[in-house]
Amino acid sequence: MSYSGAVPTARSRAMVRETRHLLFTVAPGAFWIFIFLVLPSAYLMGVAFMTNGPYGLPQMPLSLDAFERLAGVGFLGWSPGNLYTLLRSLWQTLVSTVLVVIVAYPVAYYITTCREKWRPILLLLVVVPSWTNQVIRAFGWMNLLAPGTPLSSLAESLGLVAPNMGLYPSNLAVTLGLVYNFLPFMVLPLYAAFEKLDTAQVQAAQDLYASPVRAFWHAVFPQTLPGLLAGTVLVAIPAFGMYVIPELLGGGKGMMLGNLVANQFAGSSNWPLGAAGAILMLIATFIGLFAMRRIGKRLGGGEEVVI
Amino acid sequence: MRKRTLARGLAGIWWVTLFFLYAPLFVIVLFSFNSANSTAVFENFSLAWYRRLFGNEQIINAFGNSLVLAVSSSIIALVIGCLIGYGMYRHRHRKLGWLIVLIYLPIVLPDIVFGISEMTFFVQIHDWTGLLQPGLGTMIIAHVTFQIPFVALIVYSRFVGLDPTLFEAAKDLYASPIKRVVHFMVPTIKPALISAFFLSFTLSIDDFVISFFTAGPESATLPIYIWSAIKKGVTPEINAIATLMIGAVAMAAIFSMLFNRQGRR
Repeated sequence: MSYSGAVPTARSRAMVRETRHLLFTVAPGAFWIFIFLVLPSAYLMGVAFMTNGPYGLPQMPLSLDAFERLAGVGFLGWSPGNLYTLLRSLWQTLVSTVLVVIVAYPVAYYITTCREKWRPILLLLVVVPSWTNQVIRAFGWMNLLAPGTPLSSLAESLGLVAPNMGLYPSNLAVTLGLVYNFLPFMVLPLYAAFEKLDTAQVQAAQDLYASPVRAFWHAVFPQTLPGLLAGTVLVAIPAFGMYVIPELLGGGKGMMLGNLVANQFAGSSNWPLGAAGAILMLIATFIGLFAMRRIGKRLGGGEEVVI
Repeated sequence: MRKRTLARGLAGIWWVTLFFLYAPLFVIVLFSFNSANSTAVFENFSLAWYRRLFGNEQIINAFGNSLVLAVSSSIIALVIGCLIGYGMYRHRHRKLGWLIVLIYLPIVLPDIVFGISEMTFFVQIHDWTGLLQPGLGTMIIAHVTFQIPFVALIVYSRFVGLDPTLFEAAKDLYASPIKRVVHFMVPTIKPALISAFFLSFTLSIDDFVISFFTAGPESATLPIYIWSAIKKGVTPEINAIATLMIGAVAMAAIFSMLFNRQGRR
């Protein structure tokens, strides 16, 4: 290469130095994430379009077999198993998110009504259980709900479950586990919203003889909406992809999408099918994030929600 | 009158929720001291399960693996994440959208997709080259990948909070860039470095799903050991080890409470 004689100006030299600095600081981490996450995810997506080989490993030629299998098309015609799993994931996500919201609202509000010096401690009390490992927390619920325990006996005597069956494994146990797991993630953003609440609006509503329900709906709810949306992102998206809780508490009939995906890489191996499930999960995640962002922006409380 | 019932109702919900949050943990602790081999009926107080625990070589190995994994991945992530955090700050006026996307990717990716991507990739690379045998090495790689963003964001936000003229002053004071890093940069962001390290450490110790999919036969961590023990059949021994882990968390909670108090004084 020959230099054409142009002397680099001081400014362009500074630019080069800055760019070198940028590369030096950012490149190691960017490379790390690119090589150890972007490439693997791209590879996984590719696997979804390959054919299932004899040992469950991906093979050429490219095909859409995995997606057909995911939709329930097998050697013996169509079966609804996978579709049920998918619907169950959506249903569990919906139910547990709604339950978490119902519990988190009064709890978050209660904390704001306490004296200021107690509030951090009360918040800590809500958060601390989630610091223990999620496997251990699910195990705690297995202990509580197993056949022969007081809770199970109570449910049996009320005729809610068949004798000697216990409350776990069941879909109910999975819902409970999800609510337990994600409650703090809703309480924290709601608490932040309640702390900033403009009480004058609530007062005004009460002065105008609004019923408590209407006062809540028109004066409190809109103000806490950003917190609610942030909490929903933190609860619903990870709940949809949950693996540990349905695996431990749900049994065969409580399987969710995460278990369907994981199983394809373990016992009943079928990598392309698992990869197709993973793509579905990714699509759901990004649709969820995008929708929350849109809603947040439209309602003008977007900053807290934007990820 | 109505206000009072509302306040009472709220307090009632609070206590029920607290009970709901702590009951499963309490049951684990209680039954770890059970003399009978049961997680439903409590017979007598005994430390038998703890004695068995300390004789169990697998558990001690798993504990060692957890620690080695958490410490080494946190150190690597701290170095790499700090560099990114500083680069993001120094060049914040440039268009770095691609970098932001790259950094948020490990955070938004569902755990299971993250773990399976890594696993399939490692297996395939191992097939082709013989490198990346599943074990502590692959686990460290995976953990560093999800720790980097947290370190980078913590360090970045610390830099953003600083007075920009400080950097000019440091430039005047110390001629060599190395001296600037040692005498200015590191001391000023020390709190961020400490909290980034502890967050990385906690994320690593607490992780199950990603470790589970990247682990080899010899590199089970504590959560993986507990998982496979549960799958084999519930025993009070699991209660004992879980109790020790709950105890560690309780200690951390007490420390953070004291720390909070001191911070506000």
